[in-house]
Amino acid sequence: MLNQDSGVFVSIIETQSLTRNYGRRRGIESINFSVPQGSLFGFLGPNGAGKTTAIRVMVGLLRPSAGSAKIFGLDCWRDSRSIKADVGYMPGDVRLHPWMDGMRALRIWGQIRRRHLVPYGRELAERFDLDLAVRVRNMSRGMRQKLGLILALAHQPRLLILDEPTVTLDPLMQTAVHKLLREMATAGHTIFFSSHTLSEVDQLCDRVAMIRQGRLVADESLAALRKRAGHHVTIRWPDAAAASARPPAFLTVELRDAVVWSGMLDGPVERLVHWLGERPFDDLSIGPPDLETLFRSYYAAGENGP
Amino acid sequence: MNRGLMLKAAFEIWPATLLCGALLFGVEAALAYVLPTFEAQLSEAVRQIDFLKTFIGVMLGVNVSGPLGPEAVMAYCWVHPVVLALVWAHALVCCTRTPAGEIDRGTADVTFTLCVTRWEILRSETAVWLVAGVVVLAMTLLGNIVGGWYAAADPRDDWARTLIVLANLLCIYLTVGGFTWLVSAFCDRRGSAITITFVALLASFLLNFLAQFWTLAERISFLGLLNYFRPLFIFRDGIVPWRDMGILLAAAVALWIAAGIVFNRRDVCTT
Repeated sequence: MLNQDSGVFVSIIETQSLTRNYGRRRGIESINFSVPQGSLFGFLGPNGAGKTTAIRVMVGLLRPSAGSAKIFGLDCWRDSRSIKADVGYMPGDVRLHPWMDGMRALRIWGQIRRRHLVPYGRELAERFDLDLAVRVRNMSRGMRQKLGLILALAHQPRLLILDEPTVTLDPLMQTAVHKLLREMATAGHTIFFSSHTLSEVDQLCDRVAMIRQGRLVADESLAALRKRAGHHVTIRWPDAAAASARPPAFLTVELRDAVVWSGMLDGPVERLVHWLGERPFDDLSIGPPDLETLFRSYYAAGENGP
Repeated sequence: MNRGLMLKAAFEIWPATLLCGALLFGVEAALAYVLPTFEAQLSEAVRQIDFLKTFIGVMLGVNVSGPLGPEAVMAYCWVHPVVLALVWAHALVCCTRTPAGEIDRGTADVTFTLCVTRWEILRSETAVWLVAGVVVLAMTLLGNIVGGWYAAADPRDDWARTLIVLANLLCIYLTVGGFTWLVSAFCDRRGSAITITFVALLASFLLNFLAQFWTLAERISFLGLLNYFRPLFIFRDGIVPWRDMGILLAAAVALWIAAGIVFNRRDVCTT
């Protein structure tokens, strides 16, 4: 999508009815989403939902069965080479050439990309605490993941496509990666980030698309999702009489004793506050938006979403 | 062609090239020394053992009767099954690396998503393979020369003919390589690509063998690779086999282009 005023692409990734089947096996079906420039876009779904298939189409490894995927306004299959010059990609299970060490990989990748990748690659290696002299065959899975990330980032691409990038990293390293990704997004880079870890997407992304059984079931900003997400609520009543009131429709009481209700609030907090304003109560505790429950409802719901 | 890709290919190919080159040097040197030195004994064995007579006849492309003669001995050094097997093995190892090898070990996800076209990948890999092939064949020639020096009677008096044989062998090598690229372009597993090519080569070899006795096999014997590699005629008559080399080169180019088209159009899935 081209911004007519500035002449820059505001949608870095755009898919239209993107479909990819593996013979009779389902891959992805009629997926539409767009990723704005400079965003940290989370692509969420359970294992086998079709996240990797969609990513493989975007990086030109798979040809779409129908529909289209565009990056920088160019077709992901036909113009794959031009696109990839400005894309960094790290697959979910990074497998690198076993004879390479980090430094050699940076040099060879630099020659392939016709760019000098060693200085920034070294900087990243220091940041991720990776010894570039170790050969891939002697690396642990986490170390390979770090090297894969460094190779994807070293040419400072406009778009970074990461397929479950932190899955084998320890929590400290996950934080380091998250910090770097936030910095990149702030600097105007676009990050497309697939994950099945809800908390990671919640912490990191400003927009999220959810895929289930090959179909997109949500594509919204995190802010909008948070608004729609339920809140854990605990209400303490002054006496059993007050506690015997009938809960409103927007409050699902899951645990109820003589004077305490504990449950899930559906929708805005204001409604509950307004409802409680007309009643005596001793204490009210409202938790943060519970995205996890919302995500789970998307994962578990029927074909048409929750 | 992409320098980085060529560098990567060179790093991966050199051990196999060194090994095949060294083995070919050794085998060819041994053959070039042993066969002329024991030519009389070999001729006697061929006369007495029917299978050996048929086998050497198939390899040389003539009916062997009577003593082998120096040209046949020289020619046999170049068509010996071990020599051909090693030359073909090198082509198999190099030409199954991409895409089958890359997909098989999962590195395709990284390599094929760099900013290069698949044609560029194939061209770069092919360039490195060609250089490696020339090195391997040069080692074979070197082995032949060294073995010949030490032979009781080095019958070689025309170096030009040896070079023609080498050029013909290079054409065979290129055709095997072209076919291997094509098989590799279809496969996701390197083992499958190697097995299919190996079976095809074996079938081609058997075809040449069966053509001696079976009319049907004779009719399709043009598919046999050895039909286009007859060093005995080159050593004996000094004729450059332009037609054979032309057919082999045309097949090699056609197969390579087909491999590129298949590779360029195919999906790549490592899981």
